[in-house]
Amino acid sequence: MYEDKMRFELTVNRRKRVVYVHPSMTLLEVLRDELNLTGTKRGCDDTNCGVCTVLMDGKAVKSCTILIPQAAGHSITTIEGLEGEDGLHPLQQAFIDHFAVQCGYCTPGMILTAKAILDENPQATEDDIREGLHGNLCRCTGYKKIVEAIEAVRDGDYGDYAADWREV
Amino acid sequence: METLVEKENLIGKGEKRIDAYDKVTGKGLYASDFDNQFPNLAHIKAKRSPYAHANIKKLDISKAQALEGVLYILTGNEPGIDWDQFPKAAVLATDRALWAGQAVALVAAETEELAEKAVELIEVEYEVLPHVLNYAEAIKPNPAAVIDPDYETRDQGFQDRPADRATNRVSPNIVGAFYMNSGEVEKRLEDADIIEEGEFWVGKKTASPLECANAICRYDNDGGITMWSNGAGVHGVIKQGICRILGMQESRVRVIQPYMGGSFGSRLNPYVEIMTALMCLKCKRTVRFRFTRKEVFCSAPSNWSCQTKVKIGAKKDGTIIANDYYLCEEIGAALNNTFFSGRLSSSGAAPVYRWAEKGETSNMRMDTYAVATNTVPAAEYRGLGCPEAEFGIECLVNKLADDLGMSPVEIRMKNIIDPGEKDCYGEVITSTGLKKCLQAVADAIKVEEKPVQDMGVWKKGRGVAVGGKQNTPLGRSEAEVWYNSDGTIELFISCDENGMGVTTAMTQIVANEFGVPVSEVKTTKGDTAITPYDNYSASSRTTYNTGNAVLAACHDCINKLKEEIARHFGLHTSKVEIKGKTAYLKGSYVQEVDIPSLFVPVGMFTQGNWGLQKGSPVKGHGLYCPAPIHQWDKNGLSDRVWNWFQYSAAAVEVAVNEETGQVKVLRIASSADTGNPINPKLVEGQIEGGIHMAIGFSTMEEHLYNDRGEMWNCNFSDYRLPGILDMPKNEDVISCINPDPLPDGPYGAKGMAESITIPVGPAIAEAIYQAVGVRVTGYPMTAERILALIKEKKAKEAAE
Repeated sequence: MYEDKMRFELTVNRRKRVVYVHPSMTLLEVLRDELNLTGTKRGCDDTNCGVCTVLMDGKAVKSCTILIPQAAGHSITTIEGLEGEDGLHPLQQAFIDHFAVQCGYCTPGMILTAKAILDENPQATEDDIREGLHGNLCRCTGYKKIVEAIEAVRDGDYGDYAADWREV
Repeated sequence: METLVEKENLIGKGEKRIDAYDKVTGKGLYASDFDNQFPNLAHIKAKRSPYAHANIKKLDISKAQALEGVLYILTGNEPGIDWDQFPKAAVLATDRALWAGQAVALVAAETEELAEKAVELIEVEYEVLPHVLNYAEAIKPNPAAVIDPDYETRDQGFQDRPADRATNRVSPNIVGAFYMNSGEVEKRLEDADIIEEGEFWVGKKTASPLECANAICRYDNDGGITMWSNGAGVHGVIKQGICRILGMQESRVRVIQPYMGGSFGSRLNPYVEIMTALMCLKCKRTVRFRFTRKEVFCSAPSNWSCQTKVKIGAKKDGTIIANDYYLCEEIGAALNNTFFSGRLSSSGAAPVYRWAEKGETSNMRMDTYAVATNTVPAAEYRGLGCPEAEFGIECLVNKLADDLGMSPVEIRMKNIIDPGEKDCYGEVITSTGLKKCLQAVADAIKVEEKPVQDMGVWKKGRGVAVGGKQNTPLGRSEAEVWYNSDGTIELFISCDENGMGVTTAMTQIVANEFGVPVSEVKTTKGDTAITPYDNYSASSRTTYNTGNAVLAACHDCINKLKEEIARHFGLHTSKVEIKGKTAYLKGSYVQEVDIPSLFVPVGMFTQGNWGLQKGSPVKGHGLYCPAPIHQWDKNGLSDRVWNWFQYSAAAVEVAVNEETGQVKVLRIASSADTGNPINPKLVEGQIEGGIHMAIGFSTMEEHLYNDRGEMWNCNFSDYRLPGILDMPKNEDVISCINPDPLPDGPYGAKGMAESITIPVGPAIAEAIYQAVGVRVTGYPMTAERILALIKEKKAKEAAE
């Protein structure tokens, strides 16, 4: 089926990547199968569960329904792109500290969506956070500890987010 | 013995999860992430029946077989297969498809796309037959379809099938029954001052872990297989299943459980694993089978729907003196049922109330059944039927309180069993913290006070309920603990980590026993070639069973280490204590010794290498099995039917929109009796997750069928799981832990994760009644259903 491969260029985790794939492939398939970035998960294939969430130019998108031509030329951030040389992103550390992780399958998507929320508004209220996470399902935690973790980052428990971490 | 060394107690501390780093970085691999490691992976796809019930007139695989790249096509007619041995959801239909979604053929091909294409090329001619999809249709004396015509001639396992007492009908679709009768139910119902009775139902739902069922099976060059899957029970379920069903040697089967993307009981059934292993053997190469979300709904075992009829009698003071109880669970197309009989589900209520005056023998009659239908075969789901079974009872207890003008808290306090009393089976309850749980949630939500009505058409109400669940004394758990020559410690276990955090709790136990921080212990889990036997994580047993085995392994390892050290210094072992890397000695020429320094380095020509030696750990082994049950008598009674009991209480405040019927949970409190929690933060996570799961299935989730009997809402757009906006805000979700230590649990701990979901539904039902005056009799309590009840009530009031 994928005989007619095409060349696509995209930036993934700040690195330029070139892939040769059929244009009907989704961003999720390219990330997982071509680039071996399996931190981006697959759960429903119809944008309802959010475990495939990645950032495209800083906005949270469901990679299961982005075709690779739509992603070409854009900058993608996956969960693998958050940990830096100096350690974890504050949201990652907060998810650990606040027990916002259980089975962990929704976690990459949750953390990336949370990043998009705080990058857009570092002072996001609980309502803003909940509104922002409404497309990400979690079956284990009941969401409470996820919200607590994000609020802890917002409230400066991990330094000044707006000054040190915000990417717009 | 006088203690030489004080160790910091790690039990009851919210130690961080040891798997969290892997999970927040995306580094942790789940079974579905292993694809990339096998470039030559073959893919399996299934051809499935679109009809709930149909004869298969013709099955033609020739066109599919001719497709280049197709490796193997398996049909029900495959020689040498005894389908009776297979998990019910894995059975390929041969002459008759029993539910929409049952596989009629499996294809393995070079790529997923080729496998899909081959599935399309398989031609099946069906003769559509009438179907039964629910309890009401299936339990008729002459139902439109009989799922298992041979049931009569099969070995029943339990008692003979009795008549359906409550309806006085016998259906050939009844495939399992359990009857118990304690005390004098009929007489005590006559003695009662007030009788409450009702019929209740719950819909069919799917646990819906976010990772779809999947397995990868590597063909090893010795003819054996290695499997990675997100199934539960590497030893007890998957490996034993593969060996037994496929006739493989134990030495040739290795099963590994990487991180699991949830289970909630649904992955205790090795359907995908057995079929993947079979196809791997047929193709002699590495294959993968990954269910789509639709297949998880339609083709993987789902939870069962349930009908109950409850009749309780009480004295004027609120003492409930008898319960006459009927339950029927709809178990789908589960041929050769050896599991469902209603006994497990209905017994959750056994350890909760006395059903008698204090001191009197319990007056409880349970008449329970399973009924087969043309739906996907049933399987475990968090709570094993107890939320469904106890819904009606809790609803009636609330109604009784309302009718007697009593508080729903007070009436329960009067009737809840105290520790040391016997339940209706005649079994002593050794641990229950239910009264404390009830009081905690009642106080948190102020259920005995009326809310202020300040939301316009949204009317507020409060409700409370309780729940209990038995732990079945299941199986056997083993653990191995190594004390390495550098003083580091390793733990080897095979319990499932569905996400609940048990790996962390078990590591905490080891760290506590050795007096080291959790970070000093490395835990390896779930690989049959490395980690010792465990059955599976079910019945909330893991903390208890595996925890006891881990404790035993620690003690064995420590004792062996003490022996070696004592020998070294010419002491009795009782004179040695160990904390981390240091041994404390009593009566010796030294008081403290660095343990790693006692391990002798070994060179290439070193000889006589006995004793402690570098690179060779001191190993401890632990084994734990709970005492088995005592077979019940003709009345279903026994002094040991279960093991221990977990409890929880829930209180809610809801708002009901009078015009639309929508229900919003505004505030909820849940409390669990966990025994002494090993890690209260993990317990809190189970409580909050349990609340959310129960709000979902009691207000939103339900299988719906089209004319063909096919589930049509088999995706997350139409089968809505609760999202974050369906949950109350953080300050309005209150979790409390009210432990009653379990004497035989590790450090007094017991399991708890299942009990949380039980009281949420009935508490919401009562809150809806308090808000708008309608009594719901089942769930999901959708807006349509609530609105219909409100309209019915208004019409009735207008007529009066």
